[in-house]
Amino acid sequence: MLNLAPHNKLGLDIQSPLIAGSGVVGFGDVWPPGLHAQDFGAIITAPISASPRVGAAQPRLVETPGGFLLNTGGHNPGFRRVIDRHRTTWRRLSTPVILSLVGGEPGDRAWMAAHLEPLEDVIAGVALPISEDVNLSEAAAFIAAVRRATPLPILAQLPVTRAAYLAKTVLIAGADALIVGAPPPGAYPVRQGFIEGPMGGPAVFPYTVRALRRLADLDLDAPLIAAGGIYTLDDALLCLEMGVSAVQIRGLIWRDPAEAHRLAINIRPFMPQVEEIDPGET
Amino acid sequence: MVQVKAKLQARELQGAVQFLRVASSSMAERLQPGQPVLIKVGWGHDPFLRRTFYPISLESDAFVIRVPPDADRGRAWLRMAPEGTELDCLGPIGAGFTMPTQAQRILCVGRGESSWWLLPFVNAASDRGLAVTLAVEATTRRQIIPARDLPLSVEYHVATRDGSVGDKGDLTPALPSLLRWADAVVAAGPMAFYQQLRYTIESTRTILTRGYAQVLVATEFFCGYGACQSCVADVAGGRRRVCLRGPVFDMVDVFRS
Ligand code: FES
Repeated sequence: MLNLAPHNKLGLDIQSPLIAGSGVVGFGDVWPPGLHAQDFGAIITAPISASPRVGAAQPRLVETPGGFLLNTGGHNPGFRRVIDRHRTTWRRLSTPVILSLVGGEPGDRAWMAAHLEPLEDVIAGVALPISEDVNLSEAAAFIAAVRRATPLPILAQLPVTRAAYLAKTVLIAGADALIVGAPPPGAYPVRQGFIEGPMGGPAVFPYTVRALRRLADLDLDAPLIAAGGIYTLDDALLCLEMGVSAVQIRGLIWRDPAEAHRLAINIRPFMPQVEEIDPGET
Repeated sequence: MVQVKAKLQARELQGAVQFLRVASSSMAERLQPGQPVLIKVGWGHDPFLRRTFYPISLESDAFVIRVPPDADRGRAWLRMAPEGTELDCLGPIGAGFTMPTQAQRILCVGRGESSWWLLPFVNAASDRGLAVTLAVEATTRRQIIPARDLPLSVEYHVATRDGSVGDKGDLTPALPSLLRWADAVVAAGPMAFYQQLRYTIESTRTILTRGYAQVLVATEFFCGYGACQSCVADVAGGRRRVCLRGPVFDMVDVFRS
């Protein structure tokens, strides 16, 4: 067992260092063949916004050299509907569920977090993706606002190219752990023009490794979760050796559920061992 | 939905087009006409995305896919893969065609390559003793299903733009009488084809009723199980994931956006 939020009174205990990244199992309601909740230390839901979003029109997906580019436009039925439809599913899942809350209007994420109070026994934490163009004070402001709104553990997902720049500020503002990171956005031509959106696939892994190297220099007192381009046990072990507590996968599950299942089994013996920290000691 | 390793058992060439027989009883026994299979291409992670195939023949222990020549490097890999290669297959995806319970006379209608995807349904309907007419329009002779590949009981109408096979032009002149004859329609083609079909249905039968026409909304899939949200289409009153709600829809839903 490993606690991903050792400074938070609620804590976030995981049984495996493998996390199902945002949306790979939808809101916990769609699963690929052969994978189950117990294969993961936690699952992160698809992004949830305060109001429904119809998302991007087609085409949304394009293959790129060594990966893909996918722009869903944040397609989701909105906070209230997600909660109504999926709270029962979350209660039944045998792994912690982390809600990914995405912004729209300023204050949306804090509003959603404040409305999670009745679900604090069902939800293990919230993940907050931070976009590329957010500056230090904006990042600090919205993390602090969410911190005030909920006692749940906050996992801040840093843009991979600016992770080192934002990390300390985000932790001071109240984040409990850092996801490193949100994949770099790109653009790629398709017949109808271009698709712009986050990149995925093994081609992204060097960005993750670089960000982890930069963060290692900062000597942060918070768990790190590596995300982006992790496709093999070797990728995952490299991240663990670089000091992360857990690794998150996404594209691997979409592309090859059987390979993801093998990774889930093979990574278990490498669960990082950490000293217990007294939650009162910050 | 299952993920299986299936053997590329046999390859048949017709000009530059390949027909690949893929052996997997666990996949074949689950597949319904109109349901695609996602096949991993390449040896490593590149090309990254699986390629989507709509089988053209379903047997008890195998299925057959048609791979025409094109510039895609993933399908090129598949065309070059030696017989005996193990293919990683994910499927079946979503919902396929359903056999109409009341209908006796079925019109299967398709355009171009997509018309091949109707073949498993044509065979299944014919096996059930239903009266089946297949009507196909295509640009050239190369896309046309040879009559020898159809059950003897199936009536076959063909139109090619250049007139090299069947009527010259498209199916527009033939469709009204075929639609008056049919009490169910099963279609595969692009959206513009469905728009034209709907227009013809409404002008020959007055109203398009639910249950009359099923159409295959062909798209490429990534995950195939409803998570990645890459496969959406504006159908059934909203932007829906085709792998969950389709790829076969009632035509009424296709135009209820
Ligand atoms: S292919 Fe992923 S949601 Fe349909």
